Amino acid sequence: MQNIRREGLSVARLMMVLSSMAPLFIIWAIRGIALIPNSLLISVCLLLVAAPHAVLLIRIAVARRQNDKRQIVVGDAEDNRTHLLVYLFSMLLPFYSAEIGSYRELAAVVVALGFIVFLFWHLNLHYINLLFAVLQYRVFTVYPPKDENPLSNRTSQVLITRQRSLAEGEEISGYRLSNTVYLEVGHWSWNLIFRPWKL
Amino acid sequence: MELEFNLQAVETVVFGVGRSVDQGTEFCEVSADSDVQGSLQEMVEQTKKEADKTLESGYEPERYNPAEAYGTKEYVYLPLKDDLTEHLRNLHNANLTTDNDALSDPSTIFCYFAKMVDGDGNHLTALRRPTQFKSVLKKHLIALINDAVRQVEEDMFQLDYDFDLIVDEHNVHILRPLGFAALGGVQSAILEAVPENIASIREHMDFVDFSNIEEYATNHPRAASYLASIRSQGQMENIDPALLQELCNVTSVELSIREEDEKITVEERFILGFLEVLDRRRYPIELRRGARESYKAYGRRKTS
Repeated sequence: MQNIRREGLSVARLMMVLSSMAPLFIIWAIRGIALIPNSLLISVCLLLVAAPHAVLLIRIAVARRQNDKRQIVVGDAEDNRTHLLVYLFSMLLPFYSAEIGSYRELAAVVVALGFIVFLFWHLNLHYINLLFAVLQYRVFTVYPPKDENPLSNRTSQVLITRQRSLAEGEEISGYRLSNTVYLEVGHWSWNLIFRPWKL
Repeated sequence: MELEFNLQAVETVVFGVGRSVDQGTEFCEVSADSDVQGSLQEMVEQTKKEADKTLESGYEPERYNPAEAYGTKEYVYLPLKDDLTEHLRNLHNANLTTDNDALSDPSTIFCYFAKMVDGDGNHLTALRRPTQFKSVLKKHLIALINDAVRQVEEDMFQLDYDFDLIVDEHNVHILRPLGFAALGGVQSAILEAVPENIASIREHMDFVDFSNIEEYATNHPRAASYLASIRSQGQMENIDPALLQELCNVTSVELSIREEDEKITVEERFILGFLEVLDRRRYPIELRRGARESYKAYGRRKTS
């Protein structure tokens, strides 16, 4: 028996990675770049913020409508808050502080950003999103229980949840956002986005 | 069919397939939309109805016997902790990977299954060998955001009407015993169990030399299944050697007695017949005076 880990939804995952870059695009739009006219820069940045988030929300909606979920059994669980720190230091701070005074510097920043996007996409770090943090979600990496079952999967899943901790042996139902990222059932409400005052 | 599962309160339905690969076999889950999930639940309901139809009124299902010849559809069961259900037990308890490319080569698929969880946390797994399995992946834009299998109007993804077997918390409920034998790895399990079965039978029948029988059964699935049946039904206890020899004699099974230890020995050509006698499948009938007939039964039911 082999344990397979094949990723699907590659475009959706790419959009999720781009949506996690939203703070950078917002900061660029506010700060401005001397080489690019404001109207163009703000339009592009708004598009790069809105479109990926729209895809993320559509993915959540489709998964809920189609009942696309599975049971996740908790063996070991790691809180991924440190990943947000890594994200901040590798992402936001360097790009925010970069001086873009020429077209070559702009090209270098764009290419560097492209490398970061590719790495996040390739390493399945598409769950790192400040939106989830703002909405008070926590992100756990869940490892399956250790057992002797030759058919059992040994790879980890990422669970986005409002729970503060996960107990070993707990079974959680999660909507599939991708083959490795799940949103706990019952922990999402559209009011979070569109009518937060109702909560 | 009484399931330890609430089909009216299903929380999660997952579809999956078993495939033959270079390294052996693998099982993985495949995302399926709500229509397919609904169809899978209907298949479980249909399986229950078909199983109940095969039972005579007022009768409970019998325990599966690997040596028995069953009809195409016949409801039998096995406890989930039985040795013969190890493979299914592993599948039922496994935490599987999701692989939505699994349907790209239907020729490698030897089974499909549904795994469900109800509101009380009970698990159910239902398996089927596909009679016809076609799938076509449609590369539409929607597939980029949602690559779950979709049920479309064209007959591209055909599910059967019922499952071969259903596994709940304590039992394996079998509708098609042949399907169970193929899916559950029964043949390999009973061949592996030969030494253990022989050891258990030998404890009660030390007047028989089982050494060549063990060697024979290790390579012959039918003999291995008879041994599993004899042991599981407890039919080797308190056997009278004289009555055994008489029955073998009238049903054309030749036995020999070894001089050194007076143990009964069986030549290879009579081993299957000898095991059939022990498994109560060979019997004489005399309905006409002086004309005794001898029969062999592939399927039998104890009446008293």
